[in-house]
Amino acid sequence: MVVSERRLSLPNNPITGILLAIPAYFFGVWLGTLFGNIDDQNTGVILGYLFATVAFLAGVGFLNYPLERLFGWRVTPVTDPAENRGIGRYLRLSLDHKVIGLQYLVTILLMLLFGGIGAMLIRTSLLVPDASITPSGNYIPLIGLHSVMMIFITSAVIVGPFGNYLVPLMIGARRMAFPRLEALSFWVVPPAAVILAAATFWGGFPTGWTGYPPLSEQAGQGMDSYIVGFALIAVALVTSGVNMLATIIGLRAPGMTWTRLPIFVWGIFTTSILGLLAAPVLAAALIMLAMDRSLNTSFFIASNGGSNYLWENLFWFFGHPEVYIFILPAFGIIMEIVPHFARKPLWGYRTAVVGLFGVALLSWFVWQHHLFVSGIAPVLRPFYMLSTELISIPTGIIFLVTLGTLWRARVWFTVPMLFCLGFLFNFLIGGISGVYLSDVPTDVTLHGSYFSMAHFHYTIMGGEIFALMAAAYYWLPKMTGKMLSPTIGRIHFWTMFIAFNSTFFPLFIIGLLNMPRRVSTYDPALVGLNRWVTVSAYVLFGSMVLFAANLIYSWFFVSRPALANPWHARSLEWQVPTPVPARNFDRVPVIVAGPYDYGIPNARPVADLGGIVGVTGGG
Amino acid sequence: MAVRTRYEAAADAEALLDTRLVAIGTWLFLGAEIFFFAAWWFAFFYLRAINNNQGWQAQGVGPPSKGYGAVVVGLAVLTAITYFLGSRQASRDLLFRLLTPVALVFGIATSLFQGYEMWHLGFGLTQGGYPAVFSGMTGSWVIQFTLATAWLGSIVMQAGPAGDTIARRKPAGSFAWILLFLAAVGIVNYILLYLVA
Repeated sequence: MVVSERRLSLPNNPITGILLAIPAYFFGVWLGTLFGNIDDQNTGVILGYLFATVAFLAGVGFLNYPLERLFGWRVTPVTDPAENRGIGRYLRLSLDHKVIGLQYLVTILLMLLFGGIGAMLIRTSLLVPDASITPSGNYIPLIGLHSVMMIFITSAVIVGPFGNYLVPLMIGARRMAFPRLEALSFWVVPPAAVILAAATFWGGFPTGWTGYPPLSEQAGQGMDSYIVGFALIAVALVTSGVNMLATIIGLRAPGMTWTRLPIFVWGIFTTSILGLLAAPVLAAALIMLAMDRSLNTSFFIASNGGSNYLWENLFWFFGHPEVYIFILPAFGIIMEIVPHFARKPLWGYRTAVVGLFGVALLSWFVWQHHLFVSGIAPVLRPFYMLSTELISIPTGIIFLVTLGTLWRARVWFTVPMLFCLGFLFNFLIGGISGVYLSDVPTDVTLHGSYFSMAHFHYTIMGGEIFALMAAAYYWLPKMTGKMLSPTIGRIHFWTMFIAFNSTFFPLFIIGLLNMPRRVSTYDPALVGLNRWVTVSAYVLFGSMVLFAANLIYSWFFVSRPALANPWHARSLEWQVPTPVPARNFDRVPVIVAGPYDYGIPNARPVADLGGIVGVTGGG
Repeated sequence: MAVRTRYEAAADAEALLDTRLVAIGTWLFLGAEIFFFAAWWFAFFYLRAINNNQGWQAQGVGPPSKGYGAVVVGLAVLTAITYFLGSRQASRDLLFRLLTPVALVFGIATSLFQGYEMWHLGFGLTQGGYPAVFSGMTGSWVIQFTLATAWLGSIVMQAGPAGDTIARRKPAGSFAWILLFLAAVGIVNYILLYLVA
């Protein structure tokens, strides 16, 4: 049989992608002006963004596989990680989960920088109670860009770098289930960020991250950036979800039973379920919004048979599980790291898994608490109040599991452990303040105030970002082969912890004093508190600069090579050499014990690895 | 009996693993698809129920031809069933090569017929909630069906004499569930948009 050896000969890299994306954008704009409404440019801008994204992905190399199949040619096989070494692999399409994890890490950190600069600009404008620093017309778009950029980041900040890098290592797999999908989930993120940033050229968008109509119907072309950028993130969530879940279900090593699965992997598992199922609802809602703006349909226009409540329901059906997409992997990180430094088994492992699933399940039944003051039927309020309050039970279980693990432990206060403890403190405040917001009487008063803003920053920044830092200090030595400076790490932790609380705790008070969110002017009586918050926010930003400085210092100036297992941890990812071999394991390992059997006399090593490195016992 | 090399045994094990992974991935993807289309069905019932400003269906707006819509859905069902039968035969190579091109023809016809209907709806997209839901729901469905047909085309091409033997040995069975799912969604959409309206 003759097999066609033809290949697509386009050089595949991001440069080609960009070179293709630019004309594709203008082609889309031209096509939009040809077929779209004459009185606006929405159709052209949306088509331009979509064409540019597809062209970029084609340039990177994503169309090779489907086109080769369609032409009946021999398909390019998945690249062997062992043959794809060198720094260049981080700059092009790679199907190695370790490369994708690091590509995610760098991209997300860059996006975090831009989102953080946005936050600093917001706080700077609030140094004065009037709009003299940032005019109102610029303040709202600034809020929108900061919020959506941060939502993009926090959706992927743990699953992207750490999930992709670590899950195969932790379950004893030599690869991901669908490397092309995994790579796609990363490569749609840079176009999403660029498209979102492009909103500034159109004057931004006035809706914040919630995109409520009718304002989003009336907004300028910046809104189209919101639509396409968010839709790409939905694609990333779905592709990542399919890949992660299939990997965890189908590629666990022999002996890696569900009850031996590391708790971090359970966090990724539950968050992937949420991402997989919630993001399609957002995608459908965004298509409706795009159609309203470009084809003049009326999904959300009440005067013509539509309803803005349709958007609110669809958006929050995605939006509330979305916040658990942020936090479930963070719970996983904390519960993963604490037993290693407490040198004790994870207390109530199965209860913790039930807690994770409890949060994931209940998150589908709470979305209407965001509509308490939007005019929903009063009879619906008690149900959603109760369901939202109920979610504090599985969350509390996760807390108790972590505290139970710490109980009477001889804690090793490393930098990752400090961040874990910081997480517990911050998330406790964030969680308890959330209970107040779930109650109708208090929510009616506090909704839209700085109280709710302080609440979700306590959960997302005080929770997820602290967990991210714990993960970074804990796992980056394995991922990069370099230890981070513990001295700078400790300074970073204390600066960040104090500055974070100094920034966000006063916002509860400001909220109780009725200062509304998303407004650039405020009561002059609150100027003192606002200035305190702004100065604290600068210090908080400085602490993040300290983290960046630690990365640069530790990687490039005082290079301290990481040992294979610097924390003497039992879990599987620490039993392979550093740097991790191309195919992770010489052969698929056989798992013979759980990852948290610390302090258990004669505990068996976690796996039979065929003797590639020494494995850690129960000490 | 021919002696199998270690390489062949490893390749077979890898192919088996891939088959399982693709099956898992397909069902997961279909879970996401259910939520995607459920959002459209929710929009249908929500806007129809509240009928804001009596704007669900403006004067003179109604479903397009029920017969034509039934033909489109019928073609989609034929596509899915033909491919399903082809992908599950014991003598796979022969029947597979016979039935998949037939399924492809049905699939292309489905997309073309649906596309023609969408250009000739008989109402404007701006004429209320029903036209919006009709165009969005049907448009989302036909785009996905067309992409699935393109994938079907790649399966047909890979099954040809110049196709890639490696690709052809990879599992094509799970794809049948995607086509069956889309056909089922087509039926639900038809009931809602043409009969319930």
